[in-house]
Amino acid sequence: MQYVTRESAFHRLHPFTKLIFAVVVVALAVLTSDTVMLAALVGAVLAAAAIAGLARDLLRQVPLLLMLAASLLILTVLTIQSGETLGYLVPSAVPVIGGAFPVTAGAVDLALAMSLRFAAMIFAFQVLVISTQPRDLVHVMDRLRMPVDYTLMFLIALRFIPSLQLEGKRIHEAQLARAYNPGRGPAGKVRGLFPILIPLVANSLGKATILGLTIDLRGYRSGMRTPMRDLSPGRADIAGICCMGLLVAGYLALLLV
Amino acid sequence: MTPETVLSLADVSYTYPGSESPALSRINLDIRRGEIVFVTGPTGAGKTTLCLAASGILHHDYGGILEGSMTILGKDVRDYPGMAGIGRNVGVVFDDAEAQLIFSTVEEEVASGLENLGLSREEMHRRLRHVMEATGIVDLADRAPHTLSGGQKQRVAIAATLALGTGILILDEPTAELDAEATGAISALLRRLSEEGTAVLIVEQKLDDLAGIADRMILIEGGVVTREGIPGEVLQRPEGAVRPPAPQREGAAAPIISIRGLTHRYDGVTALEGVDLDVAPGEIVAIVGENGSGKTTLVKHFNGLLRPTAGSVFVDGLDAATTRVSDLARHVGLVFQNPDTMLFAETVEEEVAFGLLNINPGGPQATGVDAALREVGLLHRKAAYPRSLSRGERQRLAIACVIAMRPKVIVLDEPTTGLDARESAEIMAILGRLRRDGHTIVMVSHDMRLVENYADRIIRMEQGRIVPDGRTLEEEPCPRLCSTSPGRAPFTASTRSPN
Repeated sequence: MQYVTRESAFHRLHPFTKLIFAVVVVALAVLTSDTVMLAALVGAVLAAAAIAGLARDLLRQVPLLLMLAASLLILTVLTIQSGETLGYLVPSAVPVIGGAFPVTAGAVDLALAMSLRFAAMIFAFQVLVISTQPRDLVHVMDRLRMPVDYTLMFLIALRFIPSLQLEGKRIHEAQLARAYNPGRGPAGKVRGLFPILIPLVANSLGKATILGLTIDLRGYRSGMRTPMRDLSPGRADIAGICCMGLLVAGYLALLLV
Repeated sequence: MTPETVLSLADVSYTYPGSESPALSRINLDIRRGEIVFVTGPTGAGKTTLCLAASGILHHDYGGILEGSMTILGKDVRDYPGMAGIGRNVGVVFDDAEAQLIFSTVEEEVASGLENLGLSREEMHRRLRHVMEATGIVDLADRAPHTLSGGQKQRVAIAATLALGTGILILDEPTAELDAEATGAISALLRRLSEEGTAVLIVEQKLDDLAGIADRMILIEGGVVTREGIPGEVLQRPEGAVRPPAPQREGAAAPIISIRGLTHRYDGVTALEGVDLDVAPGEIVAIVGENGSGKTTLVKHFNGLLRPTAGSVFVDGLDAATTRVSDLARHVGLVFQNPDTMLFAETVEEEVAFGLLNINPGGPQATGVDAALREVGLLHRKAAYPRSLSRGERQRLAIACVIAMRPKVIVLDEPTTGLDARESAEIMAILGRLRRDGHTIVMVSHDMRLVENYADRIIRMEQGRIVPDGRTLEEEPCPRLCSTSPGRAPFTASTRSPN
């Protein structure tokens, strides 16, 4: 998840407008547990991204979201029993342990609501990140008087995502060239992670020191930030905020009905 | 200290946390306005630590034991408000270019520091344009820094620092991964900056390319300045390299690597275009070219880490486009540029045994491990923690990890980057012995002096293609080895007269 150089409607918006968009979506997502409302919210975010030509970038997160949804479903089924019983994780026909771990409607509903909530939040955050240069986000956070340490932590976190991916890929290739073969079975898989994780952590820690020094040396604590580009909001921002207003109003109206 | 002195270290000694011996001992160094001071010395001599000391970092952000005093522009370094304050006067390019790249596009990277200086927009745009042109990265403006080649990253890191317009520049091996052309451009740029009054401290191993612009040269060994003077007085040339003898062969051998029409594209970028190449058994072939010309992309096809978009790659009779990487690893070993990319084990012995266990689970490893470690001169460090070894030793360990698996072809990506002349010579001697034992060596390098001294054949790449160039062992007019085009006679061992 990182900035993508492209000409899209979202790219043209003021970073502050996009930040408001992300915050609004997150707020709406936590306001309700209604799966229909949450699905509509995810749909609205995806539709906005599709209009701006960013849907393909967002859909890359779908495998991750499906894994998250599966994990949440297992977790809720194992921990929550409420409502109608839809079935059992261990079929009733199995001797002795048959009928264990009932799958209830309440558990499924909660897992679905949480999955949709995460999807809305992740999609909204991704729209913000892929359409906004990190330095513009820093400017906005600066204007919002966020403490500089938090701003820089956010900047470093954004920076480390692609960096870790790249370093992980490089290490994986280096170990593959030594005929590395991830182990079989759960224990083997865990052992197989060491040749990747150990160099990844060690190398990343080494780079973190230089990254921190570089940020300091480039004057990110100077408090004299002047954006190189004109970051004044335009008509598109007004239109975008109006659309968000309508979305919020419609959403709240439906919630209150 | 004269009024013109902009940076001064007086009796500076430094010991890293947990270390018993000092990395720097009683360093005295004054740098005047507009002066270029070149620092060189063997790996582990304390050059990078000197950079950290001279940039005030040791006084602010590091632990350890620090003695002595330091001033920047006549002011005690401790009186500056942290690194942010020092950064207004001192620009630093660290040896790890990648770690200094923070932002999502090259232009954003270079502009990032400018936006924190309180400059007008016009001045920021002027500086941005000037620096990007001077470092030759205008055409990379919209690229994501992490997708660039090593040399391109280094140019971006230099540009981002130069854009700050500080009066003092400290550069730690700034051209280690740059080709000759880019190094020349950086060299000219530094000379011009010094004429405008910028003081420059450069740590570098590439004596030929950068020492020429230095006003003063310092040799540092074991944390102590052992020699200081004008470059000609300080420089001691390493002894002439001896090309490893080519193996005796009878008749034309079939190529061990055969590539036809290789094209590789990713994300809309054509990295390789119609590459044809034959490599004969027992050859030492060097692949050279500008940063981003496709050298590393080419060699990653040899062991299946990259698959061709079009064309064919055969290595030791195996189709590298379809054979599994783990199977190809028995035939072709790849030593990555940075040995730290692979080191994970608790001991040197375990590190080398890793590859052997992968290709022969349960088989005897001890003999193979010992033989590989003996070959690279690390048998006595068998029980050491791999990451505690010196840079040169780690590079040799990486080679041992690969040769333990006894592949017929050994590919090395920039095997001597960051190593001093002695360590580079050691690496090349190892490669010479491996060739004598029947291995074929392919090395990617931008160090022309090295490849001219050691390679049988030089393959030059430009924009993803091989261009006809090269030479033979006998310095004959090239027959010409880059017999890379279909229809030309392939350059094989038989076309060279063995020594």
